[in-house]
Amino acid sequence: MPKWAMVIDLDKCTGCQACIVACKEENNVPHGSPEEQRRRRDIYWNKVIAVTRGRYPRIRTELIPMPCMQCDDPPCVTVCPAKATYRREDGIVIQNYRRCIGCKYCMIACPYGARSFNFRKQDEKEYHRPDPPPDHRSREVWPFPVRIHGVVEKCTFCFHRIDRGIRESKKIGVEVVPACVEACPSCAMAFGDLDDLTSPVSNAFGSRTAFRLREELKTNPKVIYLPR
Amino acid sequence: MGKEKKVLKMNRRTFLKLSALTGAAVGLHQITPPCSVLSAPRSQRRPKEVIEEKWVHTSCLCCSGRCALKVRVVNGKAVKITGNPFSLLSDGKVCPRSHIGLQILYDPERIGSPLKRRNREKGRGIDPQWSPISWDQAIKEMEDRLRSLREIHKSHQILILNGLNSKSTEDMIFRFAGAFGTPNIVSGDGLDGESEKSGNWMADGHYEFSAYDLDQTQYLLLFGADLLESGRPLSHLLRKWGRIRRERPNRAKIVMIHPRYSVTAAKSDDWIPISPGTEGALAMGMANVIIQEKLYDKAFVERWTAGFENYRKVVFQYPLEQVSRITTIPTDTIQRLAREFAVTKPAIAMRGKGVLYLPGGSYNSYAIHCLNGLVGSIDVPGGVLYQEKPNYKPLPSIVEDGITKKGRDRPPLHFGGTEKFPCARSVTNQVPESILEEIPYSTEMAIGFNSNFMMTAPSTKRWEEAMKEVPFYVHLSPFMNEMALYADLLLPTTTYLEEWGYDHSSHGAGFAEVRIKQPVVKPYGEAKSSIDTLLMLAKKLGGSIEKSFASLGDGQEGFVKLRTSSLMDWRDFLAKGVWVGPEYQYKKYDRIFNTPSKRFEFSSGNLEALFVKNGKRRDRQRDDRHRYDEVRFLGEKESYPLILHPYQPLMAFEHGSQNYPWAQEIYLPLHGIGWNTPVEINSETARRLGIREGDEVWVESPFSKIKARAKCSEGLQPEVIAIPSGQGHYAYGRWQKGIGVNPNELIGVDFDRISGQSSYFNTRVKVYKA
Repeated sequence: MPKWAMVIDLDKCTGCQACIVACKEENNVPHGSPEEQRRRRDIYWNKVIAVTRGRYPRIRTELIPMPCMQCDDPPCVTVCPAKATYRREDGIVIQNYRRCIGCKYCMIACPYGARSFNFRKQDEKEYHRPDPPPDHRSREVWPFPVRIHGVVEKCTFCFHRIDRGIRESKKIGVEVVPACVEACPSCAMAFGDLDDLTSPVSNAFGSRTAFRLREELKTNPKVIYLPR
Repeated sequence: MGKEKKVLKMNRRTFLKLSALTGAAVGLHQITPPCSVLSAPRSQRRPKEVIEEKWVHTSCLCCSGRCALKVRVVNGKAVKITGNPFSLLSDGKVCPRSHIGLQILYDPERIGSPLKRRNREKGRGIDPQWSPISWDQAIKEMEDRLRSLREIHKSHQILILNGLNSKSTEDMIFRFAGAFGTPNIVSGDGLDGESEKSGNWMADGHYEFSAYDLDQTQYLLLFGADLLESGRPLSHLLRKWGRIRRERPNRAKIVMIHPRYSVTAAKSDDWIPISPGTEGALAMGMANVIIQEKLYDKAFVERWTAGFENYRKVVFQYPLEQVSRITTIPTDTIQRLAREFAVTKPAIAMRGKGVLYLPGGSYNSYAIHCLNGLVGSIDVPGGVLYQEKPNYKPLPSIVEDGITKKGRDRPPLHFGGTEKFPCARSVTNQVPESILEEIPYSTEMAIGFNSNFMMTAPSTKRWEEAMKEVPFYVHLSPFMNEMALYADLLLPTTTYLEEWGYDHSSHGAGFAEVRIKQPVVKPYGEAKSSIDTLLMLAKKLGGSIEKSFASLGDGQEGFVKLRTSSLMDWRDFLAKGVWVGPEYQYKKYDRIFNTPSKRFEFSSGNLEALFVKNGKRRDRQRDDRHRYDEVRFLGEKESYPLILHPYQPLMAFEHGSQNYPWAQEIYLPLHGIGWNTPVEINSETARRLGIREGDEVWVESPFSKIKARAKCSEGLQPEVIAIPSGQGHYAYGRWQKGIGVNPNELIGVDFDRISGQSSYFNTRVKVYKA
């Protein structure tokens, strides 16, 4: 079984946020509004955060794209009372909307803030996309054409792409990658199988400088960062 | 059945919720196999629909980079935009703005039919009382006005405003202006880096943007160039940034010199804050170090440059200590930069808005470009290149009658090329004054093509006043933007995803590249492309104008076909979407310099000739061709102690609308702010002024004032107030109207006298608590 992982090279990253927009486009994630942002209720499956330290004129800001870390020991799965979130065999952590009871326990447990709660009413439609595209509609389980409100949602490593790619026997990580990786204009992101020693992901993971966020929590995230 | 299911589900939910609260559900298995989801019975699945899917090649128009796109269309709906892999400029990658194109196309508040104004009164907040009319009526009305103006030999008294349009549309608009007989066509160019062009013209005779060979460069010295935010073509810059950092064995170094810690600065190796507007002095000081330490490229300087002795004398007047005093950069830093820049080869010194949008922008641009000449980075791999242009099939010449030529020869409203702006081509921001003061003549009618100078030009109020004065204004745009509010006739145009066209970028990487535009979906409502509208109008006007447009192919598609027939086969072009020109030839020194000496000139012969032409007496004591003057800041330093820096974030669109929630919510990644315009202020300065993070403050210039919330930042030179532009729309749009403020309202009017570039960074302000 492969073990999917992502590498984000912060030296190549330009902080352009194409990953965020591409994610919203791909997964039909609802956009926010001023009111939602004020109340911190807007939904992102991937978000660029800025971490600044130092004082003028010695200052350093890191812009870090933050998808779901797809932990190997995911705290969200441990706490979920409804078994709505689970870890697939290939390591992707998935949220099953039908089982989710919206208790937000997982959101509190997640040390990366990767999860969002959908406060939206169901009748609010995306305006950029009056109808969902058919390939989203034809597979009734995923992705949901109409968003479900009252549940927690998060990044899925675009598993619908991976699953379809495997069915069509395509090379995952080369021909098929998550939407954010595909969109990244500086090619700062790579996707692949950690167990495959030839993949750029395992290559990066073994490098001297690679790090993961909050490693001390022992969550074993599968999003690997390369520093500048 | 569905309902029954829902009730069941709710019961289960409530039950589980309760159990979660009582803590009964803690400690479940970590890894639970997928439950019922994937095993849903087949019979419940919906029957397969007919799916018609295609990918269409077209190109973007969110900024003047005009990148090649590939759009996925499913059952007549565009669902995904991505880059065209045939484009060599960005290897098939696009910037985030391109993805947001879907929201531009499906903007719910687009104009559906031609609208006519009922309310004679114009102004901000005044309801125009639109009433829909038919296209025939609209064209008839335009035709009548144009014809009557032409009959009384007033063809020069119409003004054409050209916003952000495809090159094909631009070609048509310029042709229309030419055939009708008016010299008054104003593009956004005068707001957008003309001084970079004039700086190049002084050094090498090319009045155009430089191209850069980023693939092979080793050192980038950015003078106020926000490559990752407002650089162009953005997707190319983003792609190459990744490439020069970690896709080759030798990583390029990037140094950013700018008063503001931008995203580009954050991603550079070094950020060197500089006193605003003093970059020209820094360039001279660096040249001084390079020459004194004999680090310059002797072979290139001796063989292919002119005026070096003179230049040496000029830069020797900028010793390190003095430059350090002016720029507030320590002497050893300047020395280090100069040495690094000269020794690391190939290196590029790039100019950005921060140095160009100043009253002395041309001189800054020239001084910085001279650094490139000094280290021999001209037309070499990894250096500054000369952008090649595609050879479109030439259009037949315009058919003239008596009025055409007479009208065209009148002095233009923008004074470009006159004594006031000697080598300027387009002085956009001069137009409001000319309209208001009726100099050199009154404006009888204006036609705006997708323009929104009312938001983007400095001192926006003047534009409002001026547009009120224009007796008849026709606005063509897909959206009801600010300028549309002043229109008497509003014609809906297609967006770039619904029309035919060809496009290339004036910025680039040397080689020429043309991209096609083809309709991805059917036009919204009754929207027509600008090309079709102009063709229709020309036909109606008849006479020489009709003849000028007679042999340009059939409609917009035919026109594009005709123009690109010299490049490649039409079917190939449709399928690939991109034509890439021949490989770039380096070191064309024997034919590339358009200067009197046919060399790269450190003492500009072109400028000298201009001075002579305008009868300017040469000052013997001082070489006027190189200057660094202290910036003419508008406002007294005592009462307005801070300097305003309006800047364009990546998510700000350039076509005059911002009604796109995907962009709005992630507007400023450095601060994590969306849907708003913060006033960025150095935290030490803020403390001195008693301003705390989040306070509402007034920012007041001698001309206007705006209110916004303060954002204390460590990444700002203490003298500077930075405000992102792009917000503050008041015309239309649920996702943009009333959001944020527009810093351009504060700016006073000034120009770079050589190129006619409007100044943006020349206004002093004060900030106080509201």
